[in-house]
Amino acid sequence: MAAIEPMEQFLVRRFVDFPPIPVPGLGMVDLSITNSVLFMMIAATLICLFFFAAAKRELVPGRLQAVAEMLYGMVDNVLTGGIIGDRGRPFLPLVFTLFLLIAFLNLLGLTPGGFTVTSQLAVTATLAVMTFLIVLAVGFARNGLGFFKLFWPSGMHPAMSAFLMVIEMISFLIRPFTLALRLFGNMLGGHVVVYIFATFVIGLGAFGLQGIGLNNLGLIGSGMSFMMVLALTALDFVIAIIQAFVWAALTCVYLNEVVNLDHGH
Amino acid sequence: MAEPTPAAGGGGLPQFDLAQWPGQIFWMLVIFAVLYVLFSRVFVPRVAGAIDAREDKISGDIGDAKRMRDAARAELEAAAGELAIARARAQKVALDAQTEAKAAAAARQAVEEAKLAEALAVAEARIAAARAEAMSHVRTIAIETAQAMISRLTGAEATSAEVERVLDTALPS
Repeated sequence: MAAIEPMEQFLVRRFVDFPPIPVPGLGMVDLSITNSVLFMMIAATLICLFFFAAAKRELVPGRLQAVAEMLYGMVDNVLTGGIIGDRGRPFLPLVFTLFLLIAFLNLLGLTPGGFTVTSQLAVTATLAVMTFLIVLAVGFARNGLGFFKLFWPSGMHPAMSAFLMVIEMISFLIRPFTLALRLFGNMLGGHVVVYIFATFVIGLGAFGLQGIGLNNLGLIGSGMSFMMVLALTALDFVIAIIQAFVWAALTCVYLNEVVNLDHGH
Repeated sequence: MAEPTPAAGGGGLPQFDLAQWPGQIFWMLVIFAVLYVLFSRVFVPRVAGAIDAREDKISGDIGDAKRMRDAARAELEAAAGELAIARARAQKVALDAQTEAKAAAAARQAVEEAKLAEALAVAEARIAAARAEAMSHVRTIAIETAQAMISRLTGAEATSAEVERVLDTALPS
């Protein structure tokens, strides 16, 4: 029986070797195509294939076009339109891309032999910092220095407001960490737990098959563990979509604060 | 797959192996940028365009249908008006014809009645003449009858002058 290594599934392996590139300040940087990069590319390719096939201008939509329009309508009505409002349209491509990319990366991780790109902290941190910087850039572009009004609670004693401003700023600056860790933790935890229960299926099953005796009860544990694996895998599919939606929704919430700053909250 | 990259220090999470970070960061940003450009330039405009075109078409069609319905309604009203005018005209024509016919009939009747009255008058005059004539013969007949009766009863002849005289006293004409 192989060693139980629940973290082995997260190991990044080189797939196509590129020579390391010297980058000033960082030293040698390895940009080889790894399994992680490979699955990013697979996800992006699948998304592109789907939309090249689905994004048609038919007056009466076919099946694929109907799905694409439903997804677009969901993002338009619930996310950018529902959370940001009338000013949300310009951010629709960003939110749409984030949602679909994260959803596809999560779901690809659940395919047999798949690699979960979103279980890599490097990836979730990259997307989180990118989202955070976009919100920051939009905030300053729309409001200039009035952006700092975001942190200033109105209708209070100035001393109280100053105190709360510190807390508001900390909670704002902590966002990229919460974004990155939420997705990373969900994906990591889901896959580790499934792995652990899967080892129970094998381990208890092998134990239960040794001769006749009380150890045959292991077969029951093995069966129960298998049911757990099934249930957790189903749950992970739900989580894969929900986490992508949560990311997109939080992006909209953050954008809404800076885009509608003059409207009040 | 190729050989595993140097694993992170004993049993730790592979995700914390910082040697794997630059490549993943770089490729994630590149792939995201490509996807974002495709979405903002191609996919979203196409899908939104299709939805907008459909909404435009639907609202346009509804507008056309409304316009057509209004036109049909106006035509219906015009037709109803024309029908009423035509009906009134027909009624008038019918009424005129009726009165005309009545007048003609009355005139014809009057002419016939006049003709009849004339014929009646002529006939009455003829009857009166015939009667007068007949009445004038009554005296002569009476005289002749009286002469005949006298001659048969008495055997004597009475002259008509004598009979006439007696008759005058007995039967004043």
